Amino acid sequence: MNRAKIILTASLLAFAQPASAQDAFKPEQVKSGSETYARHCAPCHGPRMADPEGAPDLRKFPRDQRERFLTSVSKGKNSMPPWGDLLKADEIEALWAYVATGGRN
Amino acid sequence: MRKISSGAILFAAFGALAHAQTQQELLRDGNSGSTDNVLTYGMGYHQQRYSPLRQINKSTVKRLVPVWSASLANEFGEQGQPLVYNGVLYAANVKRVVAIDVATGRQLWMTALEWDPAVARVVCCGLSNRGVALYNGKLFVGSVDAHLRALDANTGKEVWKVKIAEWKEGYSITSAPTVANGVLMTGMTGGEYGVRGFVDGYDPDTGKHLWRRHTTAGPGEKGNETWPAGDAYLRGGGSTWITGSYDPELDLTYWGTSNGGPWTAAARPGDNLWISSVIAFKPKTGELVWHYQWTPAETYDFDGNNENVLADIMVDGVKRKVLMHADRNGFLYTLDRTNGKLIAANPYVKVNWAERIDLTTARPVETDVAKRLRAGEKVEVKPRWTGGKNWMPMAFNPDTGRLYLAMLEETSVYQLNKELPVYKAGERYMGVENTTAPRTPGEPWGYFGALDPLTARPKWKLPLMDLPSWSGMLATAGGLVFSGRSTGEFLAIDEDTGSIVWQFKTGSGINAQPITYTHKGRQYVSVLSGLGGGTSAKRETEGKVLPGGSVWTFALMPD
Repeated sequence: MNRAKIILTASLLAFAQPASAQDAFKPEQVKSGSETYARHCAPCHGPRMADPEGAPDLRKFPRDQRERFLTSVSKGKNSMPPWGDLLKADEIEALWAYVATGGRN
Repeated sequence: MRKISSGAILFAAFGALAHAQTQQELLRDGNSGSTDNVLTYGMGYHQQRYSPLRQINKSTVKRLVPVWSASLANEFGEQGQPLVYNGVLYAANVKRVVAIDVATGRQLWMTALEWDPAVARVVCCGLSNRGVALYNGKLFVGSVDAHLRALDANTGKEVWKVKIAEWKEGYSITSAPTVANGVLMTGMTGGEYGVRGFVDGYDPDTGKHLWRRHTTAGPGEKGNETWPAGDAYLRGGGSTWITGSYDPELDLTYWGTSNGGPWTAAARPGDNLWISSVIAFKPKTGELVWHYQWTPAETYDFDGNNENVLADIMVDGVKRKVLMHADRNGFLYTLDRTNGKLIAANPYVKVNWAERIDLTTARPVETDVAKRLRAGEKVEVKPRWTGGKNWMPMAFNPDTGRLYLAMLEETSVYQLNKELPVYKAGERYMGVENTTAPRTPGEPWGYFGALDPLTARPKWKLPLMDLPSWSGMLATAGGLVFSGRSTGEFLAIDEDTGSIVWQFKTGSGINAQPITYTHKGRQYVSVLSGLGGGTSAKRETEGKVLPGGSVWTFALMPD
């Protein structure tokens, strides 16, 4: 019981990454995210997240809402299609690393 | 029992008869046909978007009021042109087709267009449907998952459905189909995904595929020499996302073709026929008769798709059969539509990639900007990739001889990537980095204007200071031009002066195509409202306008 509780708490903590956790992203993950971004996301969200073409400005995406980001990308939201069947989970995580760090890492 | 059945059959036959709209009626639409109907995309095969109706005119327009509005329950945007037949208005968007009683605004039937949400990955620039076709009791509609359907025009029930191509390979449909010389034709889109463009011909009765007119020249075809050796033509773009016009006497249909694939021309050295062109072909067979390329070796995302308007106009004292086209590349062209020969080409917005179109060679003379861009430098390009004008159609008034259109004035910052893009089916295939240059304060976003087709000289230009317009135009014999704003105002403009003489704020932005027609002797004007379908209007109106589709219909309030 106790053990289960500890695991649950640990996984909840892992889930709720604080904003400062962006420092923890690995540079290669951010780089991989930037490549996926340039190919699939830049046409609507703008090259390097600047000058979005009709899609939300990702520079303003709340850094404490990783889960919402991952869900929106994989399942789609409003005009954005779902990407979950095209991009692998680690590719979407890398996208988050890129967005959460503002591409700087 | 027997009696009842035959009565029912008789009734059904009459019902079908009432909707058995014919090729003859298509030929006369916008051309001395009944003003009760609007049967073709462009209000006539010529796509002039002109009506001889004058009940609503400069004097009476002050009594123009909305008589009904109907929701289309769609947040993706309304770009469509409705059709009207026997008192029924047919409107489509990316999610559904709706039949509405013109007299009351009440819905008669609705048919949903279902598609996998992942399809949006291959629709570059907004989920859209620009309209339907009507023929012989059936209504035809394309969908973004690259299917073409025939519905019973009386009930909306599906009669047949065909898959024209695989959306997972980047193919979709956003344009209205058309029927010419008994053949149902559809274009397709996907120029950002390495598709090979085509127009397809089908038997309207059965959905049987008749022919495919590819828009990139393959091995053995004249024009293939404008492609590099190998299979670049298979991913070369040239999509066909705006409905072609048609000249029944010449039996030629005119379709514009899109940008090349990938966007960077470095991947496909050569002129790349027939991308960024107009192609004229036979609707019975798809046989190509002539072509004219607006932008050879296109690398700017200057799609050449938008409307090719047909009219017979005086050129140097001689009446000529012409085709008029305001290209994204910033030039307004007049061609001889019998043979594709260039008659005139003049810039109608600021252009810096070409000095002019040489009338002898019929080719653009590229500037240093174009040369530096092709050499890999980052440059500012006018017009922006979205063009001096985009898909939103212009109108032509045969009485004034003028074109009425919404013009865009924006500049891009554009660079071809050093590395050529790698093709993967159904994924972006571009190889370019493009952003928008900052705007100069006090400069208009664009204009509404009335232009001479041969000189591009304006009779008037109305600067658009707060936002550009992505709305189509409608000209009438009442001396009015109808259009709209992204903020939702539906406008009547004096065709002589460019003054806005009447306006009404609809529920969302207008980026669609107004029509006018009569019902029981009363003139109506209908337009769809609903921001979106394209991406730029959303960028420009960020925080100012919400989406949400509806049909609005206007008529004069009785005295």
